[in-house]
Amino acid sequence: MYRQGVLEVEALAEVDLWVKPGEFVSIMGSSGSGKSTMMNILGCLDKPTSGSYILDGIDISKTPDSKLSAIRNKKIGFVFQSFNLLPKLNAFENVELPMIYAGISKTERRKRALEALERVGLSDRIKHKPNEMSGGQRQRVAIARALVNDPAVILADEPTGNLDSKSTFEIIDIFRQLNDEGATIVMVTHEPDVASCTKRIVTFKDGRKINDETVMGGNN
Amino acid sequence: MHLGENIKSALKNVLSNKMRTFLTMLGIIIGIASVIAITSIGNGSQKEIEDRFDDLGVGRMTVSMRSNSPRNMYTSDALTLDDYELLKDVRGIKYISPTYQANYYSVKLLDPKETNTAQITGVGADYYDIMAPDILYGEYINQENIDNKSKTVVITDTTAQKVFGYCDESVVGQQISIKSWKGSQKFTVEGIVENPNAESEMQYENEYPESIVMPISTAQRLFGQKTLTNITLVAEDPDNTDALGERIVAMLDNFHNTSEKYTCESTTEQLEAMNEVTGTVTLLISGVAAISLIVGGIGVMNIMMVTVTERTREIGIRKSIGARNSDIMFQFVVEAIILTFMGGLLGIVFGWLAGLAAGAILGMESVVSVNSIILAVAISSAIGIIFGVYPAEKAARLDPIEALRYE
Repeated sequence: MYRQGVLEVEALAEVDLWVKPGEFVSIMGSSGSGKSTMMNILGCLDKPTSGSYILDGIDISKTPDSKLSAIRNKKIGFVFQSFNLLPKLNAFENVELPMIYAGISKTERRKRALEALERVGLSDRIKHKPNEMSGGQRQRVAIARALVNDPAVILADEPTGNLDSKSTFEIIDIFRQLNDEGATIVMVTHEPDVASCTKRIVTFKDGRKINDETVMGGNN
Repeated sequence: MHLGENIKSALKNVLSNKMRTFLTMLGIIIGIASVIAITSIGNGSQKEIEDRFDDLGVGRMTVSMRSNSPRNMYTSDALTLDDYELLKDVRGIKYISPTYQANYYSVKLLDPKETNTAQITGVGADYYDIMAPDILYGEYINQENIDNKSKTVVITDTTAQKVFGYCDESVVGQQISIKSWKGSQKFTVEGIVENPNAESEMQYENEYPESIVMPISTAQRLFGQKTLTNITLVAEDPDNTDALGERIVAMLDNFHNTSEKYTCESTTEQLEAMNEVTGTVTLLISGVAAISLIVGGIGVMNIMMVTVTERTREIGIRKSIGARNSDIMFQFVVEAIILTFMGGLLGIVFGWLAGLAAGAILGMESVVSVNSIILAVAISSAIGIIFGVYPAEKAARLDPIEALRYE
């Protein structure tokens, strides 16, 4: 249906993690638990010193650094705690940017960027710069940017950490909706009620996976 | 990343901080402007020299003593009409004329109380063909005038205006007074020629002497001299004046039993010599101006380093969404090139204006050549590349994880 690939990690601290397409996983743990390193490896920003990481059928641990940017571009969509939008670009241009690096034509870029902005409910804000938008709106632009190249996985690193509770659940709703439409999402969070909205919670402590549970039905 | 997108985004960044951009470009602007201004003045003076020499004619040669000081004029080796007779029939000479030139006398002007210096040139019959002046009225000095030592002169239209107050047919046949410390003598106007420098001389009233031409025989008698100032000739083959010159010098040295006492310079040689001098001077000053370009380039590099540091987080974001190292590198190099390229364009405009202004002040023409513009654009862009690569490479090598963490 969505994609045939699998997501498998064998981390340093004897971590086995296997994420299937269409899953919505949250990674929990206190600071220093190794979840940031985990995210960097999952996001192809870093490589494991030993073991292997296979993303969508590609062995990232054996992929040369020069190829990693293309993999980040096409297979991964990042959503950060501090949004990480380019302040001089408006919402539309921010969403367009990954497609520019992918070498997609202007008309196609326009079509897909508008589509992505519509999916996050920001069709009326496309000309706004990040500093003209609320935190929740900024994060929605970031989500649109993350999904615009139709990635294998969306990696969200504390996406609600800078948001009030109303915006937090708006964002969570968007993630759930995207997941319902088939997107694979891995989200780091330390808020239990945010994690409980996902379908599976993986807990890290001191660099080890200490718990991996499926949330039955999920909490809305 | 597409080049067009890259230039667009680079322009956006460059224009978002106008003051900084302008100050950074200033070094390039000043450098390019001074090079353009200097070369335009250099080109202008070169062109002026060439125009002057065009007036003087092609293939014209002047035979004179090597050291043409007045004392030499009285030695037995001074050129005389005998030398002229000797050279007259040399093969390869088209026209040849002896000349005697003196500035000692003055000419009475319309107002009886006023005089102006006269530059008197005694000439042979070929002189007209050598100089090819435009005759307005009357005739030029001919062989008959020379044989008769007749007191006839050819004057210019400007002199006619000053002496008679008008210049037309009726001036021919009238008399002008040429004054020396011994007293004045009257000469009949045989012809009137156009003064090629009338326009520039007009501004200076009587600063330029009145140019008066008379038969060589008359001039020699007037000044009591048997010598010549020089012998002017035109070669049949203007491209081969060197061999002819050497032959003439050898003949004269042989005749006077001297060694390399005489020279035979062609206008082409003089032109080349003059052009070489102005060319060297222009190159030298341009070189000094080019140093400011290097200083400007270092300024660009400095500001690009600052930009890269300021935009560390942006670089991290771009990398996380898929920018390759080469994309980042290219982005910053393009920004540096845009800075220096725009500086170069502004420099051309300012340099062109400065050249015009300096030309107007110095009374010289300023010529901005297409070559110097192309060169200026190429140099300024090259500076962008040279001084932009290092900061851009630094940006490209940033670790995305650390760049994203940068506040």
